[in-house]
Amino acid sequence: MSKELIRLRDLTMEFDGERILDSINLYINDHEFLTLLGPSGCGKTTTLRIIGGFLTPTAGTVTFDGKCINDVPPYDRQINTVFQRYALFPHLNVFDNIAFGLRVAKCPKEEINERVNRMLEIVSLKGYGHRNVASLSGGQQQRVAIARALVNEPKVLLLDEPLAALDLRLRKDMQNELKRIQQATGITFVYVTHDQEEALSMSDTVVVMDKGRIQQIGKPEDIYNEPKNAFVADFIGESNILDGTMLADYKVKFFGRTFECVDKGFAPNEPVDVVIRPEDIDIVAPEQGHLVGTVTSITFKGLNYDIIVEFKGFKWLIQTTDYCAEGSTIGIRLNPEDIHIMRKSEYSGMFGDYSSYSAEYDELTEDADEDEE
Amino acid sequence: MKRANRILTILIFVFLYIPMAVLIVASFNEGKDLTTFEGFTWNQYAELFRDETLLGLLGNSVLIALLSTGISVALGTMAAVGIHSLKPKMRSVVMSLTNIPMTNPDIVTGVSLSLLFVFVGSGLLGQRESLNFWTLLIAHVTFGLPYVILNVMPKLQQMDSSLTDAAMDLGCTPMQAFFKVTLHEIMPGILAGGIMAFTMSLDDFVISYFVTGSGFVTLPVEIYTYTKKPIPPKVYAMFTLLFLLIAVLMVGMNLMQLRAEKKKLDTRPVSKGWQIARRCIAGALVIALVVGCGFLLITNKNDQVVINVYNWGMNIADGTDETLDIIAAFEEQTGIKVNYSTYESNEVLYSKLKNGGISVDVIIPSDYMIDRMIAEDMLEELNFDNIPNFSYVDEQFHNPAYDPENKYSVPYTWGTLGILYNTKYVDEADVTGWELMWNEKYAGKILMIDNSRDAFGIAQYLLGYDVNTMDKSELQACADKLAEQRPLVQQYVMDQIYSTMENEEAYIAAYYAGDCMLMMEENEDLAFYLPEHQGFNLFTDAMCIPKGSQEKAAAEAFINFLCDPEISGANMDYICYASPISAAKEHMEDYLAESEIVYPDPEVQEKGSAYAYLSEETTRLVESLYQRATKTTENADSDDAPKTVPYIIIGVVFVGIAGALLLTGKKRKRKY
Repeated sequence: MSKELIRLRDLTMEFDGERILDSINLYINDHEFLTLLGPSGCGKTTTLRIIGGFLTPTAGTVTFDGKCINDVPPYDRQINTVFQRYALFPHLNVFDNIAFGLRVAKCPKEEINERVNRMLEIVSLKGYGHRNVASLSGGQQQRVAIARALVNEPKVLLLDEPLAALDLRLRKDMQNELKRIQQATGITFVYVTHDQEEALSMSDTVVVMDKGRIQQIGKPEDIYNEPKNAFVADFIGESNILDGTMLADYKVKFFGRTFECVDKGFAPNEPVDVVIRPEDIDIVAPEQGHLVGTVTSITFKGLNYDIIVEFKGFKWLIQTTDYCAEGSTIGIRLNPEDIHIMRKSEYSGMFGDYSSYSAEYDELTEDADEDEE
Repeated sequence: MKRANRILTILIFVFLYIPMAVLIVASFNEGKDLTTFEGFTWNQYAELFRDETLLGLLGNSVLIALLSTGISVALGTMAAVGIHSLKPKMRSVVMSLTNIPMTNPDIVTGVSLSLLFVFVGSGLLGQRESLNFWTLLIAHVTFGLPYVILNVMPKLQQMDSSLTDAAMDLGCTPMQAFFKVTLHEIMPGILAGGIMAFTMSLDDFVISYFVTGSGFVTLPVEIYTYTKKPIPPKVYAMFTLLFLLIAVLMVGMNLMQLRAEKKKLDTRPVSKGWQIARRCIAGALVIALVVGCGFLLITNKNDQVVINVYNWGMNIADGTDETLDIIAAFEEQTGIKVNYSTYESNEVLYSKLKNGGISVDVIIPSDYMIDRMIAEDMLEELNFDNIPNFSYVDEQFHNPAYDPENKYSVPYTWGTLGILYNTKYVDEADVTGWELMWNEKYAGKILMIDNSRDAFGIAQYLLGYDVNTMDKSELQACADKLAEQRPLVQQYVMDQIYSTMENEEAYIAAYYAGDCMLMMEENEDLAFYLPEHQGFNLFTDAMCIPKGSQEKAAAEAFINFLCDPEISGANMDYICYASPISAAKEHMEDYLAESEIVYPDPEVQEKGSAYAYLSEETTRLVESLYQRATKTTENADSDDAPKTVPYIIIGVVFVGIAGALLLTGKKRKRKY
């Protein structure tokens, strides 16, 4: 769609002998909204800090506009950053915080006034210029931080979990706001988050990372619909992942039954991971179902119910709008397009089994993510 | 419980602040006596501001404090930033290393710095005067630095490290980021550290004492040399002002911190006026500092002839109390500049000269010390062609025993050591001789002079021995005599004699005639007595030029100036000792000139005798006999103490090692 702006080549980072990044290869296009998504400790913030110039990679290169910028210090890069905890200067008021970069660059006074006031308008903080930053709410501070970075008109804006400290409601508003600002300014955004929903709803491109390696790069829809391995399938939304065998093109066998599917290109009888999204499963009467199981638990989630159904000792998560009583027997039907086939990977067998499922499970993992760095 | 807490808190505050309260009250006291408040007055403050010497010293102290604080703050902040960037393990090691100088006893720091400066200055660079303004400044920076580091470090650790990242992200070089962002964040720590360094510098005595040369002296060091006379009340006034200055600084700092906390939550705009005011204050401080330094450099870099005069504390008229400012008069007449500083005893003067840290042109030691210095070849021969006024010196002071050929010294003052007693309480019939000091009738009301040479002299006159005897059995007999006196003595004193005698807390004391004169002015019942038939000490302080003087001719001009009868007379008005120049009597106040106490009859004078220098061994013997006779408990087996000392040391070391092992053992256990 447009020209390449940043390229990471074989980027490797080690701290005290521990490998944080392992041969990252990635390019970022001009005007793109790219998100680095992954759990805590996956290396996404490290990647961002290398692009920003705050860390020097152990090996590999970062090129910007075709030039290697490994040795260019942060203050000489046409890149600005919005930090995780805003990092606003407490001794300066809102106006002076935003004007900081322009003053360092020795802009004329009238130009500073004009640009800062325009930025204040863009982030909806008109009239807040004289306020002390500590007196602002979290969302307002966040917008000051964004304005402070954007006022310098950088080629690239790096955002390190900028919304992590905000409450849910505000986070949704700010997501829209950020997307709007990105489209209005045309600046390339590199966005780091552990929130898959945020990543999917805002990005042009999502990069899923784990253990210092890129697991998958793609458009949000592709990442969701065509996960490359069990890690991606599980991290992006909920997935039931089963062992299966690819009998032939468009034919897969699991649970002792052969199903039609839309995937091809596997060796005959190749063992594969089968992904079935919980919301794709149709519940039918037991006698009409491809498979028959027993409901072991049901949780009301607002939009739908999460029910856990046991099939031959294996528990699935199914999302449905219909109420099914605990202990009742139900049947399910699977259409060919509901079944997604993945090659076996190091993650096979680690995800997709809801035997230990509990309603609190989600919240626990999310809390753990907040501790990153 | 709560009330008990509150009462306890109040008690603690009372305990902490009572000494200061007494000082402040004393500074407003109309009378000179500490024990009775005779009315409120501002006079002490008025006098303080008229006393240029004292204000000059205060200026010196403040200048050193400001400069050393400035340097400490700059270096300390840089050091803290450096230490902060180290790995945590290394950081804690370095931090404990920087804390050691702070916990080190001052005296150890002072002596080692002095050794270093003399070694480098005199030894390596061959400087004439290795202890000077700069060494004092370096010393103050040395002990101020750790306080700054200690206060800045926590602020650096509290600071969000992404703030500096953010500054660099917005185009700052690391240096710009430090000045534009980090500095603001750690400013409270820098201020706190700076204020601590400032107060430490302002009140430091111990370290300064060892690294002060003859040219530049701070207030606390000078005050310490005021041992010959009581501290004048205007000094209380100055201390009160100093205390208030420090108090205002501390309270101001706390208020500023409170303000800063409040401001964070304040939604109102930051007042521009306050910002400008703050900048003005900071600017004014910087300018004051720069001007101060510049002024100092200019005054130092004069081509003028400068002589360094080293004298007893309060031993020259300085223009206060309506006296003549002798040094100013000399400078005006000759154009020679005088650097004047003081010492508190002959022994201090001797060791300072021996250590070689100072360069001096004129000194005024006492007779026996001149004897010693001549013997050790420490004095220059004087060129009497340059001292024509020597002809005014009375014949009887020519060729004294301590300088038989009169080659090295010109007498400055002389005086006697006698007995001061209160006629209200002491029966005249008892005033028969030195035995009055041993009279059991006045047990507990007797003050004995607290220095070994004078105390032994008194015993020697009483027992009829030669005052310069080196015979061990005679010295032992003197010591026994002094031990016999011990139960009768209220206190062994120097300075405190003034208030104790004036307030009639004691009735009998042995002291110098000139000081007795002053006390008699305060209390009419006091009388002075010289035991002529037994003998008494007649001491002389004389002006000499030590070896190594670079301005000998100018020094001789100074000595000549002080021998001018008019000058000498004016000088004695202040010192109250006797002048060896009879012609000076015309120029001093009558009560002094006519006083039989200050100027006993010539026949009486002949009964007095001077101390000579005893051998070093004898000096030490006298000192230790004196200590044992007057300070240790009776019947103590004198040989025991030295023997037990090594055992005690070994015991302490052993316990220390055992403790250390125990501690490390515990740590090891915890690890696993």
